[in-house]
Amino acid sequence: MVSAGADFLNRNENKNVQTALIITGVLFLVFITGLLAAKRWRGIGGGHTRIVLSGGGTGGHVNPALAIAEAIRGRDPEARFLYIGVRNRAESIIVKRAGYSLRFVASEGFPGFRISFRLLRFLFVVSIGVAQSIIMLCLFAPKRVIATGGYVSAPVIAAALILKKLRIASVQIFLHEQNSIPGQLNALMGRWVDKVLLTFPQTLSFFPKNGAVVGYPIRHSIVPIPPEKARENLQFKIPPDRSVVFAFGGSQGARSINRAVVDALPFLLQHRDRLFLIHGIGLASMSEYDAEADTEARIEKTLSAEEKQLLDGFYYRQDYFHNIAEVYSVCTLVACRSGAGSLNEISRIGKPALLIPKANLPGDHQVMNARAMKSAGAAELLYEDTIMEEGQILEKLDGRVLAEKIILLLDNAERLKSMSESSRHFLKRRASERILNELYGETRFSDSDNNSTPFKELTSNSGLLQTLSAAYNSMGRQFDPLSVVGDPDDLDYYRHRAAGLLSHKGWEDRNLGVKLIGLTRYTEKIPTLLKMLADRTPVNRASKLFGGDYQQVGFIRRNIVQALRVLDYFDPEVERGLFAALSDGYFEVRAQACITAAHFGRFIESDSKWLDALMNRMADPCFEVVIEAAKAVGEVGVDEEAAGALLAIKEAHYWQVRNAALHGLKRMIDRGALEASPALLAEVSAFILTSTDFKPHFTIKETFTVLQDRCAASRSKNYDLRLPAGKAAGKLK
Amino acid sequence: MIYEICNFLFPLSDIFSFCRLVNYISFRAIMSAFTAVLFIFLFSRRFILFVHRNCFLDQVRETGVHSAFDKRGTPTMGGLLIIGAVLVSMVLWGNWQNAFMLCSLAGMLWFGLLGLWDDLSKVRMKSGDKGLSERLKLILQGVFSLIFAWICVGPYAPLGSAMATKICIPFYKYPLVDIGPYFYGLFIFLFVIFISNAVNITDGLDGLAITPSIFVVAVLGIFAYVEGNRIYSSYLYYPFLRGAGELTIFGAAFVGAGLGFLWYNAYPAQIFMGDTGSLAIGGTMAVICVLLKQELLFPLLGGLFVAEAITSQVQDKIGVKWIGRRIFYRAPLHHNLQHKGIAETKVVIRLWIVAGLLALLSLATLKLR
Repeated sequence: MVSAGADFLNRNENKNVQTALIITGVLFLVFITGLLAAKRWRGIGGGHTRIVLSGGGTGGHVNPALAIAEAIRGRDPEARFLYIGVRNRAESIIVKRAGYSLRFVASEGFPGFRISFRLLRFLFVVSIGVAQSIIMLCLFAPKRVIATGGYVSAPVIAAALILKKLRIASVQIFLHEQNSIPGQLNALMGRWVDKVLLTFPQTLSFFPKNGAVVGYPIRHSIVPIPPEKARENLQFKIPPDRSVVFAFGGSQGARSINRAVVDALPFLLQHRDRLFLIHGIGLASMSEYDAEADTEARIEKTLSAEEKQLLDGFYYRQDYFHNIAEVYSVCTLVACRSGAGSLNEISRIGKPALLIPKANLPGDHQVMNARAMKSAGAAELLYEDTIMEEGQILEKLDGRVLAEKIILLLDNAERLKSMSESSRHFLKRRASERILNELYGETRFSDSDNNSTPFKELTSNSGLLQTLSAAYNSMGRQFDPLSVVGDPDDLDYYRHRAAGLLSHKGWEDRNLGVKLIGLTRYTEKIPTLLKMLADRTPVNRASKLFGGDYQQVGFIRRNIVQALRVLDYFDPEVERGLFAALSDGYFEVRAQACITAAHFGRFIESDSKWLDALMNRMADPCFEVVIEAAKAVGEVGVDEEAAGALLAIKEAHYWQVRNAALHGLKRMIDRGALEASPALLAEVSAFILTSTDFKPHFTIKETFTVLQDRCAASRSKNYDLRLPAGKAAGKLK
Repeated sequence: MIYEICNFLFPLSDIFSFCRLVNYISFRAIMSAFTAVLFIFLFSRRFILFVHRNCFLDQVRETGVHSAFDKRGTPTMGGLLIIGAVLVSMVLWGNWQNAFMLCSLAGMLWFGLLGLWDDLSKVRMKSGDKGLSERLKLILQGVFSLIFAWICVGPYAPLGSAMATKICIPFYKYPLVDIGPYFYGLFIFLFVIFISNAVNITDGLDGLAITPSIFVVAVLGIFAYVEGNRIYSSYLYYPFLRGAGELTIFGAAFVGAGLGFLWYNAYPAQIFMGDTGSLAIGGTMAVICVLLKQELLFPLLGGLFVAEAITSQVQDKIGVKWIGRRIFYRAPLHHNLQHKGIAETKVVIRLWIVAGLLALLSLATLKLR
């Protein structure tokens, strides 16, 4: 027994020694390899400059990397490049064609910090990617690593950082950020790299220590080409005397734009004698969206056979244009996403743009870009909707709207001309030179011409709600969201953003969306609201147990009815929805329906259906509803019957109900529906006038208020979206 | 202090024979109550002025009830007065070797300081809704509850190890049931947190929290007197808890402080107790209940507080945050009554009546079983 125990101990000890030996051995090997790698790294230093480029996923990340490579090559023709990307993404096509040597690593998009299966998979994939990158970097031994973002570059930067911190690599790491709001990985990694090269000055606040504003580098090939020459070079023929519209959604393509372009075809076909449409559908070929197949199917579905025949000589589509400068040069108008890349290219060629910013991006940066270009007079905007289709949240753009906007712009030649002119001056040039300065640590020119105008900031949904509802409460019927927001384009964007909330899964978001649609007066969405109001999809069993009823929860239905009032729009559809809401299962909906009915009193005045329904509500078990119903009867009632109903509740238990009845009678007299007579007085006198509530007067507070008003008489109310109330007040001081 | 001095003096000479009085709980209880009232009368005006000058004023908060005027600007942190009065009274009349009294005082001070921190941060943030985060508050309440639960069921139980893990069931002839240290400890832990927050929620209208608390503590004081007395307790079939009588004195001091506070807090209030007061009162009541084994009586005795807490939590956590509709018109209970068109004064007095009736009913459990 004892010996067995000792034996076991012995064996265990042996095992431990073995493990320790193996670990030491591996560490020693790693150390030696590291030393050798470090030596090799330094030894190579004398020869040509070796540079690793990385970044991709979309053309927006790949093209700036290539532009930087071109700039470096211009200065140092002997430089050797290695491009590290991810298989089957934009870089595998674009980079190969540009003639750089290309290697692939494993990587994946960052799913967010929430613990999930995707996060685990992400960590696994990225650690493999980091290992691959370490090997590649050690073999290539670059002097500089330049990453242009996208999740592709994450493992490369991580690997370079590790090698650098371990003092194996003497490498400089640069990061180029194309957006005004940095991506999650860039924001994280940016802290440790040598320099973060920025496109927008606003982004400096994210990288106060190592940020440098350089702009967006554009490839040499993107230069204006004389249209005649460009037409010859294109592999398709454009008939003469046609306005050419180039619509595309970035290198990967955008579902909403592709579908909208196809939907717009029937409308644009009417103008086929003066129009030619070039459609860049993008490279995306993933399971969730395959640009080529989806577009094909949609054309099949949308267009009739004869319309399809007409497409020849009017419409041309291709997945990606490697000669995009030629396409730009021949076109009259560009319709595209407002990523920094597209905007810079368009500005370089000097073309007017119809921008369709991608919705639901962090910090709304495409919207910011688009607004900047629009305020420079170089672009028009179209916002896409966020809708729920087949259980999926999608962005959607109406094809008809797109077609109308294109035709409207093409009809106005003068405007197009001024837009091209503004477009040419929209963005600063020489980004490549600035980048070279940063890369080689030189200062060839001062930063004096770095004064791009800061964007006007957008308000968050909740901030917007606060501002608008404050304005609505103080202005009442004169309320106009445009005067509060200021810019019609901003209001348009806010409306689309609010509408996008309606298809969210969490009811709180939908509720916010409903409120905002009301307050921004987005009348086009009334049918959607009415549909939601009538939606009777039940909730799950657990919430049913506690009194939940439908997916569109009580608050949403209440706020829809309220929004209908704020929207101040009445038609038979609204009337039907409101009438149904009068008998909703939730008391606040019924009460709000009564208030809204009173609001639209002038439309339903002599409608006996409404009067009967409202009088029914006066017998509601919930006193809140009774109060509002009595007030509404005062607005709607025209005959003795209504007055009788109001007089009948003279002995109601709640004083507010009795008060509402008296209020209703007063309104009927005001409207001339009831005659103020001694007989009426006799009946009214029978009301119980005692009350369980009263309003106290605090004399000292009243005196103080008078004095306060005197002192603040000069202060006027103004709603400034950019400043919270506190700040605005401070400014006035 | 007076207790110690007199106990030292009266054996010395016949002249000090009146000092024997301090050995009667009833005498010390009455004296401590008067001391507390006197303390508040002496210092509250100065205190209100001090609070006003330092701008420790009540901040705007969102209640959902249209009030005739908002109560912004009323000095808050009146709980400091109550705590101060009880503390002074106990310093003078308390027996500082008594574990019951020390536990209750510790509870009052811990929760009072927590509330003070909350009040101060509300003043600093200039908002009635943003004080300490709810989580931090719960953690700090939990820390005390945990220590207290351990004391109650652990080796240093003031009740003695025979009684430590037993719970007392009201309306039942043989009321003591042993439920084991872990289960009972967990129960105490949750109970203390729940009660202290319940009073915090109740404190929404002028005088609403203080009077029902006076009722509750007064009844608990009577229970303490019975349970601390060998004869009465055996007569009424109650467990005899040696030294529990000291809680009568503590309770009396509390009642005195409460009456004094109500003087200024009655509608329209000149001072609010703030979280300092409500948390301190809640903590004290919870600790006394646990020490006297009357936890299960509390839903009846402090039924008002329980109703307020439950309406508020059901409305907020189930209604507004989860299923997306109101379950009550408004919550907590007193706002619901106000929403139905009952004036603040009327709501407060009606709830006082309810609290008083509940207290009487609870007192009846002394004999009813």
